[in-house]
Amino acid sequence: MNDEQPVELTVVAQRAGVRIAVVRRYLEFGLFEPHPEPAEAPRYDPLTAARIARAERLRRDLGLNYAGAVLVCELLDRLRELETPQ
Amino acid sequence: MALAYTDYYEVLGVSRDADPDAIRRAYRKLARRYHPDLNSDNEAEDRFKELGEAYEVLSDPDKRERYDRLGANWRQQEQEAPDANFEEFFDRQGFDSDDARVEFSDDLFERLFGGRADGGRGGPLRGLDREALLELSLEDALEGGRRKLTLDHREIDVNFPAGVRDGQLIRLAGQGAPGRDGGPPGDLYLRIALKPHPHFRPRGLDDLDVDLPVAPWEAALGATVPVQTPSGTAQIRVPPGSSSGRRLRLRGRGLPRSGGGSGDLHAIVKITVPTQLSDRERELYEQLAQSSPRETTA
Repeated sequence: MNDEQPVELTVVAQRAGVRIAVVRRYLEFGLFEPHPEPAEAPRYDPLTAARIARAERLRRDLGLNYAGAVLVCELLDRLRELETPQ
Repeated sequence: MALAYTDYYEVLGVSRDADPDAIRRAYRKLARRYHPDLNSDNEAEDRFKELGEAYEVLSDPDKRERYDRLGANWRQQEQEAPDANFEEFFDRQGFDSDDARVEFSDDLFERLFGGRADGGRGGPLRGLDREALLELSLEDALEGGRRKLTLDHREIDVNFPAGVRDGQLIRLAGQGAPGRDGGPPGDLYLRIALKPHPHFRPRGLDDLDVDLPVAPWEAALGATVPVQTPSGTAQIRVPPGSSSGRRLRLRGRGLPRSGGGSGDLHAIVKITVPTQLSDRERELYEQLAQSSPRETTA
């Protein structure tokens, strides 16, 4: 549950502590999607920053490439869903 | 000052004559096992830091040589001028390392910095998000309030709003693990866990169940009886002929809804028989038994 409003790409980069180019790279690899709510400029869920930071830690620490880091994040999300009681 | 000695070979589980390939393999294997994003055990993060420190030393021939020779004091002998880092390298090349457009492949980093991806730095990065459990009584959850939590040896003041629910996440920006290399800290997520209540049981998201003890004659004849609600005692009309298990609804007396309004309270009739009867009561029950033939069901 998260009540924060969607934010712009620059804010995502700032909160994740990475450069905008890195955020765009993860966007290309499908780690996250723009928020569906229509707006002048694309906006993103505020939780995206934490998602990018996790992928980036995995990429740097384990020597993964972008595709590998995104894949691990998706698998971790699926694992968490399975472990969460319905 | 005496320095604590950490055996980096033991940390990585390699012999003292291990070659660089064996050290890299051991680090990668253990890093996957103890990476805090992959392992939620409390000690994983400390272990991962220790691995990074061990690998930083043993993967660098100069540092490894000093470590082998000087043991715990090896850092004191480090030269004044550290190795060129990312920013210094690009300053020399005339690049602006803050340029958001500059992107380099891992291969380029590997060639320039020799295995940067294995525990190397790589610029600021946001710290890990943390999650902690906040156990609340139903009354506290309804009223909102403050709590002091101790996390990573830090005391944190937490304000939680009125009307939080079981399983809800509250985000505390910047209260997670510290960032890396000047990056912002992660966030702390508090997961609300409601303690079991002696009277109220949650039903769905906003509704509550409560037992409604009624006397046999109240159940048979109908009566207005007191019922406990989260906001105090209320009166409820028990219709005549109510058997145990009948559900009586009090609209808007459940839990607050996030969009406004409140859920309902379900009072469940529970016929309660006196454990001790006076002579007069016994006489009346016996009369009742004689005048009321027993209902039989198929």
